[in-house]
Amino acid sequence: MSQSAGSASPRPASQRLMKLAIVGAAALVVAGSVAFYIASKGVKSPSSDAIMVTIKEGACEPNAITVPAGRSTFTIVNKSDRALEWEILDGVMVLEERENIAPGFSQTLQAKLKPGKYEITCGLLNNPRGTLHVTPSAASDAEAARPALLAYLGPLAELQVFLATQTNALVKATLALDDAIKSGDVDKAKAAYQDARQPYQQIAAMADQFADLHNAIDPVADYLEKREQDPGFTGFHRIEQGLYAGNSTEGLTLASAKLLADVTALKERMRGLRIQPEQIAKGAGRLIASLADTKIATGIDHYAQTDLADFDANIAGVARMMTLLKPVAVSAAPQVFADIEARLGDVDVALKTLRGQDGFPAYDKINAEARKALTAKMQLLAQALGKFNAAIGLE
Amino acid sequence: MKLRLLLSASLFAFTAALAPRAALAEVSPLDLVQPIADYKIYVSENAEKLVADTKAFTDAVKAGDVDKAKALFGSTRMSYEAIEPIAELFSDLDGSIDSRADDHENSEKDPEFTGFHRIEYGLFAENSAKDLAPFADQLMADVTELNKRIKDLTLPPEKVVGGAATLMEEVAATKISGEEDRYSHTDLWDFKGNFDGSRKIFDLVRPLIEKDESAFVTKVSSNFDAVETTLAKYKTADGYELYDKLTDDDRKVLAAAVNTLAEDLSTLRGKLGLN
Repeated sequence: MSQSAGSASPRPASQRLMKLAIVGAAALVVAGSVAFYIASKGVKSPSSDAIMVTIKEGACEPNAITVPAGRSTFTIVNKSDRALEWEILDGVMVLEERENIAPGFSQTLQAKLKPGKYEITCGLLNNPRGTLHVTPSAASDAEAARPALLAYLGPLAELQVFLATQTNALVKATLALDDAIKSGDVDKAKAAYQDARQPYQQIAAMADQFADLHNAIDPVADYLEKREQDPGFTGFHRIEQGLYAGNSTEGLTLASAKLLADVTALKERMRGLRIQPEQIAKGAGRLIASLADTKIATGIDHYAQTDLADFDANIAGVARMMTLLKPVAVSAAPQVFADIEARLGDVDVALKTLRGQDGFPAYDKINAEARKALTAKMQLLAQALGKFNAAIGLE
Repeated sequence: MKLRLLLSASLFAFTAALAPRAALAEVSPLDLVQPIADYKIYVSENAEKLVADTKAFTDAVKAGDVDKAKALFGSTRMSYEAIEPIAELFSDLDGSIDSRADDHENSEKDPEFTGFHRIEYGLFAENSAKDLAPFADQLMADVTELNKRIKDLTLPPEKVVGGAATLMEEVAATKISGEEDRYSHTDLWDFKGNFDGSRKIFDLVRPLIEKDESAFVTKVSSNFDAVETTLAKYKTADGYELYDKLTDDDRKVLAAAVNTLAEDLSTLRGKLGLN
């Protein structure tokens, strides 16, 4: 198809067309490049509307600044006789800073600020501070009402740290449990069992989404066809049965080795888990609903009767997860979040009331009425959690 | 063929022009969750180490053991220097733990001059642990409080990623000049702490940009390597040579690499969509 230069019979009409097309395409390239240039220059030049702050004689000039929420640029001019740093403070927390501004020099600082009242430093540590008032803007109001995915990055990272810490503790305690079972030490095994149970219950809201591992680690005999005789009766409760109902470590080595392998796999999977923001409140709500629907009424630790300690760990885990969302929630869904905090507090108080001097009483000592009261509080918590995602714009 | 190529090139130019920003936003915020979680664990481990090391250091100061305290000064500071982008977010603690005499109106004599450098001044400039016990107690209380606050802190992602450059700027501004540890001349220990902290951040986010920014990644890595090789020349059995042993040639090598690193790493936030 290529038009070689030595072509014997030129085709003028098509050549002309070709020329036109080439010119047109070239024009497009130029136009495209110009558009690209303009677009790339669309980034606001940082110094065009910078706010000047001059520091001299131990004070900022001006000493009170007001800017709209969003991105601001500050030019800090050091007219003092010492090198200094300039900071924007929210309480004791540094929001932004520029260090080592030499005497007679200036530096710029860009900050993306949320509405609020902040302080600015003015030279030496004990110099009086100035104020920075950031007023709401249309964009900041919209962002506050429906936080962007980026706003969840910090909380999600912290959630991963929490899950890593808890799964580490789980694996460590399960190793100790396995050792105690192998050496036939019942008391040590019981202690290690409870140590392992706590972190597992703290992360239950996230761990139960791996159905295969959940069914291997935490099945309750009631839900298996042949109950305790069922080959699917593995994991924590199988070991619990041996240690507490049988008061022995006999015949538990296989179950213990399998539990260790399963919690180790859980740790690995947790690490690779790509959690979406909406999964936090959803997982928490699902777990609390399962407590309200059945677990509190029927109990889960039939042989050790340590259900209250499990519920307490569940609540601690849910409280931790929701606390991580607080910075996002306080502006976007303050009412719903306050309700969740209040309901969490109610459940916590109810559990603390049941707790005696030597920890929680055996669960078979908790009568139907007391279980009903706890269930009612748990239901309210589940309902409050269920409203969270819609309120914050995650549904 | 040529025509079609040209046409598609022009179309490409147009599309690229219409969405120049979208093309850069390859990294989703969710990709950053794991690196930031890993960094939090790194910071927590260093904060724990800082508490343990400071205990041994301040015990020596309070026991009046000047030689031992001097020997522990450089190594104790390293974990603080490594996590400085996070530690210095707490303005009150950063002031009482790590401020220099210049930050105070009456310099060394200012009652508010406390922390590492106040103790350094006593040990190295005055060769005495006399009167240092209150500063030792306060330093211990401050690092303990710092460790506690870090545990409860949700790390601001832009401070984590921005921290890689901040640490190198810090080196360029105060370590290359030898002004940070002016009484003890243990600046190279601090330098190594800052360096490790910066490289850690870079290594954690590196997989996210390795494919699209391979030239950048290679350049930054080789500058990190250059600094590491030069610093290694001054490694001793239990730490680093004093700052005055640094030759002019090596100072130049370090200054050049560190300045380039500071400049290059300052683009990291933008590359990861955190500006």
